[in-house]
Amino acid sequence: MIRLCEWLLQRTLPDDIADHVIGDLVEQTHRGSFWLLYETISAIVLLRARRQQGDRMLQTFFGDMRLGARMLRRSPAFTTTAVLTLGLAIGATVAIFSVINPVLLRSLPYPSPDRLAFVWERNRDGTRDNVGFQTIVDVASRAKSIERWAAIGGWTPTIGDAEPEVVTGDRVSWSYFRVLGVAPALGRDFLQEEDQPNHQLEVILSYGLWQRKFGGDSSIVGRQISVSGTKMTVVGVMPASFDNAVTTQSKIWRVLGYAPSQPFACRTCHHLRMLVRVKPGVSLAAASSEIDGILGSLIAENPTQYASVGAQVVRAQDEITRAYRPALLALGGAVLLVLLIGIANVANLQLARAVRRSDEFAIRSALGASRGRVRRQLLAEGLVLALLGGTSGAIIGRLALPMLVDQLPPGLPRLDAIRFDGGAFGIIAAIVLALALALTLAGARRDRRDLGESLRSGQRLATGSHQMARSTFVVVEIALATMLLVSATLVARSLVLLLGVNAGFDASHLLTLQVTATGARYPDNASLFAYHDRLRTAVRAVPGVQSVALTNQVPLAGNVDMYGVLDPDNMPANPELVPSGDRYVVSPEYFSTMKIPILRGRAYTDGDAADTTNKVALVSAALAERLWPNQNAIGHHIRLGGTQGPTRTVIGVTGNVKHRGLDATTTQQFYAPEPQWLFADNAEMIVVRTTLAPSSLVQAVRRAVSSLDPTVPISAVATMDDVIAQSTAQRRLALVLFAAFAVAALLLSAAGIYGVLAGNVAERTREIGLRAALGAAPREIMSLVITQGMRLAVFGLVLGLVGAAGLTRFLQTLLFNVGENDVATRVVVVAVLAVVTLAACAIPASRAVRINASEALRGE
Amino acid sequence: MLGELEQLVLLGVMRAGPDAYGVPVHDEIQRRAARDLTLGTIYKTLARLEEKGLVTSRIGEPTAERGGRRTRCFHVTPAGSRALQASIRSLRRMAAGLDVGLDPA
Repeated sequence: MIRLCEWLLQRTLPDDIADHVIGDLVEQTHRGSFWLLYETISAIVLLRARRQQGDRMLQTFFGDMRLGARMLRRSPAFTTTAVLTLGLAIGATVAIFSVINPVLLRSLPYPSPDRLAFVWERNRDGTRDNVGFQTIVDVASRAKSIERWAAIGGWTPTIGDAEPEVVTGDRVSWSYFRVLGVAPALGRDFLQEEDQPNHQLEVILSYGLWQRKFGGDSSIVGRQISVSGTKMTVVGVMPASFDNAVTTQSKIWRVLGYAPSQPFACRTCHHLRMLVRVKPGVSLAAASSEIDGILGSLIAENPTQYASVGAQVVRAQDEITRAYRPALLALGGAVLLVLLIGIANVANLQLARAVRRSDEFAIRSALGASRGRVRRQLLAEGLVLALLGGTSGAIIGRLALPMLVDQLPPGLPRLDAIRFDGGAFGIIAAIVLALALALTLAGARRDRRDLGESLRSGQRLATGSHQMARSTFVVVEIALATMLLVSATLVARSLVLLLGVNAGFDASHLLTLQVTATGARYPDNASLFAYHDRLRTAVRAVPGVQSVALTNQVPLAGNVDMYGVLDPDNMPANPELVPSGDRYVVSPEYFSTMKIPILRGRAYTDGDAADTTNKVALVSAALAERLWPNQNAIGHHIRLGGTQGPTRTVIGVTGNVKHRGLDATTTQQFYAPEPQWLFADNAEMIVVRTTLAPSSLVQAVRRAVSSLDPTVPISAVATMDDVIAQSTAQRRLALVLFAAFAVAALLLSAAGIYGVLAGNVAERTREIGLRAALGAAPREIMSLVITQGMRLAVFGLVLGLVGAAGLTRFLQTLLFNVGENDVATRVVVVAVLAVVTLAACAIPASRAVRINASEALRGE
Repeated sequence: MLGELEQLVLLGVMRAGPDAYGVPVHDEIQRRAARDLTLGTIYKTLARLEEKGLVTSRIGEPTAERGGRRTRCFHVTPAGSRALQASIRSLRRMAAGLDVGLDPA
């Protein structure tokens, strides 16, 4: 702000004065931006008007500004409404664009970001998959268009011994940071020879983790830290400016260390992402078609190891913003509508005011003011209003932005780059203010020819064209409000329907938390199994706990852990084409704790689990139907973990569970007991069904877990209701914003209708009085006013419904089980608008009825 | 005869001492007279007083506190003191013997 003031002062005042004025202001910056701006303007107005005695034009202009300010102070209701309207419209728009700009529009913060792309396997149905290491190596070695490449795999290590903490990280190829084009600020990057199997002992830290966990100690480079129970050497720290937009949450990196010979480096091991940097001069389209061709030949060479039909190459920028683009764009559109409504409203207010002041202007011109002079005065007044509106917009935008950022999903890319966008503020404020001014002047101009008439008759006759212009604004406002209302209602209905979806389990009274047991104490599966058993016993003993279960993952928490499910009695030619199921390796009480129904057969017992030769499994109804349509699944066999996986007998069929999201369509799960699984999970979820409110047991359950082994970090503590709320967070945010915009739009257009009708009634006092004197019943007078209001509403509504059809197309990703052309929504919106319009008509209508005929006519 | 603003600012300059510039003058007036003038008003009045020869100014040293800006320090000229004396004296004479709701000076 002080910069802006400095700039303004230097532009407007002579150097010797500007310098000491700025000095005085700098000394007082602690008084805040508003004070600074006020002082700056007062200094400019006072000192400049004085210095430039010769400049009559400017002097009268500043005189006009002062007069304008005084006029505005004399009508506080008008000024407050106009300033708040402008402020809210500008503030909301700037806040939303301050988010959209860095997240969607600005290029990724890496050199030549347009040469960065992700490579996926493309499936026949248009979906896509991660890629296996062997595939990545083959694509990279064959493609001539790729300059550098890196594989990225997920990693959630536990850091530290004393206060262990689970953090999100990535396992990456040694070349990862070189592909991005960034280098560590401290220490060095990974070396190629470090990216070897059974090596992987070097890590690089993010600046934030380094500051938080290691106090920003630069001697950390070269030291060993405890990572998941292993000693690893910190070789580098990334700069504070490094924004890891590729995997937003990662704070620590280690080399991947894969070799094609390893079992988990296979073509079918789809757990890696491939990031490439295309050679300079090669277009992304050319690279894309080359890579697609290479994947095509790899599929032809290894037909049994691919389910995909080619490659999908996506520009990194598009990939990163993919999930958030539609919602953010819809919000951007919505806030623009609010902005337009705000402009229309302010123009409307100005016009109403011009009508009331037509006598004043008539006197001014009678006393010799030229047309230009009167218009300049209006302009000056408008500018004062604009300055106030712009300032309140800046303040509201600044206040709203942090609140908005708090609500954004934590995985949103470039979250740290969101700042109050001064540039956007300048542009938006300038456009809004220019439009509001232009509309006002256009309205005022029409009034000109009637000024003399107005003065002579002492009456307000000069209103016809005004009414026309004002009515147009109101119709536009109602149309825009209708569009917003339709959108908000659609989003709201979707959320209600979504929350009504049966998730397949009972989420109430469930507490979930994760424990991550790693390191020397847990060297093998047996030690982990034993630890998990002790966990179950310890937590079950906590008072208020009804039952406890362990599982590798919980539904709706964003976990992706899937295995192909083979029917050994009916093996397909290409085992890659078998269905996938969410892997649930759970303790026997899982089904009763989650209240997941067993539709057929039975759940397994601890006895089944302990038997490692006769392996058992349960499958969800959807998976059973997919594998054995119209058959009883009980007694069938499945293999999990590839064609060589052990055979398991299906002993039960469970209800479907919404794993990916309440809006997910496929819900194929399989359940297996832990001791029979291929490995023990280091990270295990504890699910607790409580008799009391689940959040009240958090401390007790934590203590019970810590008492077994205090070095095991506890993370992701949440009630299942929280987990579900989190899974719908993006829709909730969209709903809150849409609803807020729609309500604001509705209020503004109601104010618009009210203003037009009230003005109209005031101007027609004599006419209405005459009607009343001639015997018109109150009801007739009332309907006169209401009909006029309703006509505006209907015009606006029709226009708005047409416009809404265009807008809602962008909402599709936010909708659930509601068609974008949903009729019920339209009915609700029409009803709401009718009520609001009637309410807005009521006051002017009752005022019209109360007009006293004799008094109104005596005025003649 | 001096205007009210001119009196306030002249007295403010005298109160603020040898290094009187915008901010101290403003603060003196705010504290003693409980008048919340803008800095702009004070600059404008100072400029008018300087034109009338009632105050003079010199450019002070740049200080770090002000972001390296110079101060323009004002002090009241003998003509300024005389004008102030005359102004206050005539006020006193006019008020003498009248009950204007103040304690006798």
